[in-house]
Amino acid sequence: MIADLRTGSLAALAGLDLATAGRLRVLLNYHEPVEALAVAAGRCRPHPAVKRMLTPDLKSAWSASVERRDATEWAVRCSRIGVGAVTNADADYPDVLRHDPQPPAVLFFRGQWAALEARRVGVVGTRNATGPGCTFAATLGAQLAAEGVAVVSGLAKGIDGAAHRGVLRADPRRAVGVVANGLDSPYPRQHRDLWNAVADTGLLLSEWPPGTEPEKFRFPQRNRIIAALSEVLVVVESRERGGSLTTVREALERGVDVMAVPGSVNNRAAAGTNQLIRDGAVPVTDVGDIMLALGLDHRHAASSGFDPRPLPRGAEAIVLDRCRVDPCTLDTIVSELGLTITDAAMTLARLERSGWVRESGGWFEEVSSCPASR
Amino acid sequence: MLASIPSATVLGVRGCPVTVEVFVGNGLPGYTMVGMPDAPCRESRERVRAALASCQFAWPSRNITINLAPTSTRKSGAGLDLAIAIGLLVATEQLPAAAVAGHAFIGELGLDGTLRKVSGVAPMVDALDAVDVVVPVENALEAHVAARGTPRVATDLAAVVACLIGSREWHTFPVHLDLAMREALPDLSDVRGQPVARHALEIAAAGAHHMLLIGSPGSGKTMLAQRLPGLLPPLERDHSLETTMVHSAAGMKLPAGGLLRYPPFRAPHHTTSAIAMVGGGSQQLRPGEVSLATNGVLFMDELGEFARPALDGLREPLEEGVVRVSRSIGRAVMPARFLLVAATNPCPCGGGPPGSCQCDDHARSRYLRRLSGPLADRFDLRVVVHRPNVDDLLGAEPGESSAVVRERVVAARAVALDRAGKLNAALTPDELDEVAPLAVDARSVLREEIERERLTGRGYHRIRRVARTIADLSEPGQPVVTLDHVELALSMRASLRGPAMADSRWIA
Repeated sequence: MIADLRTGSLAALAGLDLATAGRLRVLLNYHEPVEALAVAAGRCRPHPAVKRMLTPDLKSAWSASVERRDATEWAVRCSRIGVGAVTNADADYPDVLRHDPQPPAVLFFRGQWAALEARRVGVVGTRNATGPGCTFAATLGAQLAAEGVAVVSGLAKGIDGAAHRGVLRADPRRAVGVVANGLDSPYPRQHRDLWNAVADTGLLLSEWPPGTEPEKFRFPQRNRIIAALSEVLVVVESRERGGSLTTVREALERGVDVMAVPGSVNNRAAAGTNQLIRDGAVPVTDVGDIMLALGLDHRHAASSGFDPRPLPRGAEAIVLDRCRVDPCTLDTIVSELGLTITDAAMTLARLERSGWVRESGGWFEEVSSCPASR
Repeated sequence: MLASIPSATVLGVRGCPVTVEVFVGNGLPGYTMVGMPDAPCRESRERVRAALASCQFAWPSRNITINLAPTSTRKSGAGLDLAIAIGLLVATEQLPAAAVAGHAFIGELGLDGTLRKVSGVAPMVDALDAVDVVVPVENALEAHVAARGTPRVATDLAAVVACLIGSREWHTFPVHLDLAMREALPDLSDVRGQPVARHALEIAAAGAHHMLLIGSPGSGKTMLAQRLPGLLPPLERDHSLETTMVHSAAGMKLPAGGLLRYPPFRAPHHTTSAIAMVGGGSQQLRPGEVSLATNGVLFMDELGEFARPALDGLREPLEEGVVRVSRSIGRAVMPARFLLVAATNPCPCGGGPPGSCQCDDHARSRYLRRLSGPLADRFDLRVVVHRPNVDDLLGAEPGESSAVVRERVVAARAVALDRAGKLNAALTPDELDEVAPLAVDARSVLREEIERERLTGRGYHRIRRVARTIADLSEPGQPVVTLDHVELALSMRASLRGPAMADSRWIA
């Protein structure tokens, strides 16, 4: 990408102190980006509508911070990391956002806008997800992508990341990530590879210029963009109060259908999704439910049904059945099934090695289907 | 006139003989004390003066010089009072020098001449060989523990003088060193359910393996740890003496009979400073918690809440079994060979089944970082403790008692000592090859764990040590470590990684 002064000006503008989406929208409605930067710096006469907005406080804040943000410098920086920027005036700016009640004034992006041309489903959920929750999110992601549906998510740990890993496995062009910090530094850092893969093959969006830190207040604002870009929002796992429920609220305000994956009543990570279902959200038990909500014919390719894991026998089968009910501990196995500690430990170790259960912090969970088989 | 009286002070856990030299000469009446006394020691002048007067002795109105030799070591505390008083009496010829020959004196004086107890009498008496040591009656037990002969016991200065000149017999003090009552310890049968944690305690006791208990609040970590000393056998004679010395030096109360015959249990609070953990102090070199726990159990509840320096201070004792403390006032090597049991929550919110953690990632990784690293590597056993289920809590019959388990522990320890001359936790990798050969299938399982990067080189040796202990407990005399021993050892080595960090491992 060639260093582009327009992008540079937008990056400089979006990072000004007190530059909210609303204020930037007014400014950019009446001025071209390069000119808008001059207006903010006080070097150019503002349009009367902009002038009304420019209180003395705002004026001094902007002219002070413009000093520290040079458009050319930002243009070079953006081009080096392959970040572009669009506003309402650009053809690439997503149409759904033009009609949004709180559209972002500037969208920074890496990747291809073509990703948004497909049907779009938001898949979100908690960061502290259970193993089965993540597996299911990954399965949904893969199946939706295979059906040609774009998956919008936040690239966070847990459900978000798992959904996109699924997409990348099936059709990497269908991944749309919306993040809450600058596009120059992956966050969370463990998702660097995922982040780059989405930027390379799909589309990665942010409302904020490169260099922006992932501060707490940005996440709910980011969630509104996920909700706005989705036609259907699927919540895979969420606690009673969680960030994904702010996405749900934004989706409901925009008339986006909300669907939720039911979970065990013992699973605290599913308390929020079960509550959503009780409140009327449509349950999702497989990808067909989502395709139905999108109004697409559901031609779900039958899986081969081949599972390479050795079938559990004898004690292994009994222990696995117990792990299916809910996550359990070595103590539970010993005292409920009457095995000796050594037998229980050996059985669980064999099940874990063959991929049937997964251990975390002393708890054993069933792994419902083998990741390697897909 | 000159008098020279043997006494002692204590530095760390060792007694240092001190010679109190008293010179009463001509010149202006005055009193000078030299030879590095600390403040309480310097104040002895007022106590000695009053005590002499109370016991009808005269205070010389001449020039008094007191020298505490060797002058290079710092003398702390009031334990030299008695020696100074006796020295003054000899130097002023109120007491014949021949009467005090062959005696050493330890004790603090009250203004009325009473002898008060001082801490560290056992190591002091130990350091003063070949003399009769006179000690306050309250320190008689400690003195008996360390003395080669019979220590002389007295209640006040007048009595000491009377006995020395032979006008009275030394007070005889009945001491039954063999009195060995085990104080009532909490019993393992109180623990309902939790078969895994109980078994882990047994393994820790048998092999002297350091143990980390990881569990939510209320899962009974503290309860379990308190039951560990009850599973350990009584101390051997020299261990018992060593621990007694440390406790005496710290001024701790000794049990009836004087000797600590059972492993001590120390549970410092998590606000304990690094100095209090490892020992030291600016006025006096005192043994820390690691030394007080020597030959016993050091229990650190809420390990993650301890200050970083306190945790770092544990490394040397864990590695070498001693602490070397250097301060401005001196240097001391103190024993610190203990069985470390620590307890921690899995994360700041307390954790629980998968999906119930409410901590944000930063808080959790900060918490785990403090636990991980060099310290976490030192634990042979890392056991996850869960809240017992309701049925076990209410209905189940009580499990085995401490006495039953202790028998197995004693048998397993005997096997290990017989085989290698040390407990399994202390086996070196070379010795492991010799005394804990792995069965073929056990070896291949461990190889797989290492290849999957779930086991480090150091972890590999730890697993083999624990597996050796498990084998000694279940099949005493079994020379080979088999697969089930190894699997059980592996299941008692929980990882400290949070669930969120683990997820990329199995999805991609």
